[in-house]
Amino acid sequence: MTLLSIEDLSIEYVTPRGVVRAVDGISFKVPRGKVIGVVGESGCGKTTAVRAITGVMPSVARFGGGAIRFKGEDISNLSKRRLREVQWRQISYVPQSAMNALDPVWKVGKQIEEVLVKRGGYTWRDARRRAAELFDMVGLESKRLKDYPHQFSGGMRQRASIALALALDPDLVLADEPVTALDVVIQRQVLDTLNRLQEELQLSVLLVTHDISVVAYVCDYVVVMYAGQIVEQGPVQEVLNRPSHPYTIGLYNAFPELSGDAHDLSPIEGSPPDLLNPPEGCRFRARCPFAIAGCETVQPVLEVGDNHRALCHRAPEAEALREKARHTETWTGVAAQ
Amino acid sequence: MSALDTNTPDAPLIDVQGVSRRFDLNRSMGDILKGRYPTVDAVSDVSLSLRRGEAVGIVGESGCGKSTLGRILVKLIPPSGGHVVFDGEPIAGMDRKRELAFRRRAQLVFQNPFDALNAHFTIRRSLYEPLHNAKIPVEEHEERVAEAIRMVHLPTAEHILDSYPHQLSGGQLQRIVLARALVLRPEFIVADEPVSMLDVSVRAGILNVFRQIQRDMGLAAVFISHDLALVRYVCERTITMYLGTVVEDGPTSDVIANPLHPYTRALVAAVPVPNVDQSHDPLPIKGGIPDARNPPSGCRFRDRCPLAEARCASERPVLREVRAAHKVACHFVD
Repeated sequence: MTLLSIEDLSIEYVTPRGVVRAVDGISFKVPRGKVIGVVGESGCGKTTAVRAITGVMPSVARFGGGAIRFKGEDISNLSKRRLREVQWRQISYVPQSAMNALDPVWKVGKQIEEVLVKRGGYTWRDARRRAAELFDMVGLESKRLKDYPHQFSGGMRQRASIALALALDPDLVLADEPVTALDVVIQRQVLDTLNRLQEELQLSVLLVTHDISVVAYVCDYVVVMYAGQIVEQGPVQEVLNRPSHPYTIGLYNAFPELSGDAHDLSPIEGSPPDLLNPPEGCRFRARCPFAIAGCETVQPVLEVGDNHRALCHRAPEAEALREKARHTETWTGVAAQ
Repeated sequence: MSALDTNTPDAPLIDVQGVSRRFDLNRSMGDILKGRYPTVDAVSDVSLSLRRGEAVGIVGESGCGKSTLGRILVKLIPPSGGHVVFDGEPIAGMDRKRELAFRRRAQLVFQNPFDALNAHFTIRRSLYEPLHNAKIPVEEHEERVAEAIRMVHLPTAEHILDSYPHQLSGGQLQRIVLARALVLRPEFIVADEPVSMLDVSVRAGILNVFRQIQRDMGLAAVFISHDLALVRYVCERTITMYLGTVVEDGPTSDVIANPLHPYTRALVAAVPVPNVDQSHDPLPIKGGIPDARNPPSGCRFRDRCPLAEARCASERPVLREVRAAHKVACHFVD
C-alpha cells in the first residue's frame, strides 16, 4: 500500500543567475512499512526533494510541477494550518546534523516534552513519561533527559533526534544523512537501532544518504539520483547486485572494501553538470565511460528487471558494462575528453 | 639538513617515546568549591616509531586521542609527558632556525577542506603563503606550486588558482589542502580524516592521489581515520587506539584478516560494506566510549569488552609483540 507518492516532481531555485531546476521530474513511491533510500552525491537534489516533502523550503525555492501525494492528498500546497497538522504528527524529519535538531540552551528532555505538549496535546506530566519511554526506545538512559545537547556525544545526539522524530507516532519518517557524521562503530549502532525500531513500529522511512553501504544495511528499495533526476531505482537487492546505470556502477566501484585486493579505487572523474544550463540528453554522459552517440539527445527509461528501472540506453548490456567498469582504466581520462 | 648525518636508512624518522597529553577541563562550581582541577588524558603513554617512506594508519573512535596524537607529531600542541624525536632531534626546545626547518619537513592535512582554507584568500594565495612563511627563495615558488598542483591531479590550474574556496567542490578543495602541504616538499605528513567530509564517489580519487604521492615522494605518513577500509588503501601498517592508548600495532593486512585485540575486531566488523547480504549480527562491543575523565582502571577497554575478567580491572595490559611485527595490549592473546 502506497503511503507517499512523488509524481513527476520538480523543484526550482530562483537565483540571480537564473532558474536552477534542482529536482527535475522525479517519481517514486514509499509503501507503508518499508524503508526507501535516496542516494546520490552532493548537489544531486536529494535533500531538496526531501525538504519539499516536509513542506519547509528555503524562500528561493518553488514548485516547478508535479505532486507529492501523502495518503492520496497532494501536500505540495497546503494551508499553514493543515501543514501544521501534518508536520511531526504524520510526517517527521531527522535532520542531517543532529546538533541542528537540538536547541543548545534547552535540556534535551524539555525539547521532547515541548513537542509532545505543543504538537501532540499531551499534558506536561504525560509528556515526561512519554519522553522517558522514547529515550528508552532509542537506547538512551532516561536520566540523560536532564542533560543539555553539548553533554551528549554525536551518536547520542543522533539517537535523541530520532526520539524527537518518533515522539508523535508519525506515519512517515524522513531522515537526511542520519549517520554521516558518525564513526563506523557508532554508525552501526545507530543503524541497528533504526532497523529495530522500523521492525517493531512498522515505520515507513525515507532515508537520504550519499553512502550506498547505509542503503545496503537498512533499505528495502533504492532511488539513485544524479543532477536532479532519478537515474535508477528498484529493490535494493536488484540495484546493488545488478546496478544497470553507469553512475550506480561507478558509485559501487568507488567504494573502499575490506576484502579483496587493495587495488586502485576507481573514482568517477569530473563533476556533475551546472544545472543552470543542463546538457541535452543524458546528464551523466560527460563522466560516463560508456557514452554513445544516442546519449546526446534522448534518455530512455528502461525496465531492466522486476520493478527495476534505469535511465540509460545501454542498460540491457549492463552485465558487460559492470565487467568493464571493474578496471580502473575504464574510468580514467573520461571526464577530461 | 638532518641533524645527525650518522643516521642509517633504517633509523626511524619519527620516534615517539611515552608521549602523553593532559588537557585541563572547565571547572564547575562544585570543582571550584572543592578545589578540584578536572583534567582529561587524551593521549596516555604512547610509544611508536615511523621509518622514512612508511605509511601508518591510526584508527579508533572519536575521542580515542588519534587527532591529538597527530597534532603532537607535527608540533601543533606540545605533549605533557614524553618525547617526540624527529630525525634524531627532539622536536621540543628547538631554536627558531631548527623550528622553521622542522615545520618545512613535517606537514598536516586537515579533515574539513571547507574550513581549512581562508575564505578571503584566492587558492593562489593559500598555496604561496606557506612558501613565504618558510622563507623559500621566491624564484622557486612558481615551480613548486605547479608541481604540487600536478601531483594532486588538478586540471586547468590557472582557472583554479584564481578561484576562492566557495567556488570549488569539496573534492577540489581537499586536493588544494593536500597541495598546500606538498609545496614545501615535506618528508613527513599527517592526514587527519582527509576524506571523511567528502562524498563516497569523490573519496576514491583523493585516496588514490594520497597513496601515489606518499609512494612517489617516499613520504613518511600518518593517516588518521575511523574507517579501516580507507586505511587499508593507503597504509601498510595500522595502529588501533582506544581512549588514549595504543591497543594494537601491526601490518594492515594482518590487523584486518586477524585482528588480535577485541576492540580492533569490533572495528573490523563495523566497516560498512555495500552488500545486501551482509551480517546484521550485533557488534562484539557494548555501548559507547566511556567518559575519558574517569577511565576504567586497568585495561581501559574492559567495560565494553566481551572477554573482560577480574584481572583486567587491576592490571593494565602492556603492548607486546605476539606475532611477527604485530603487537597487542590484551591479557587474553597469546
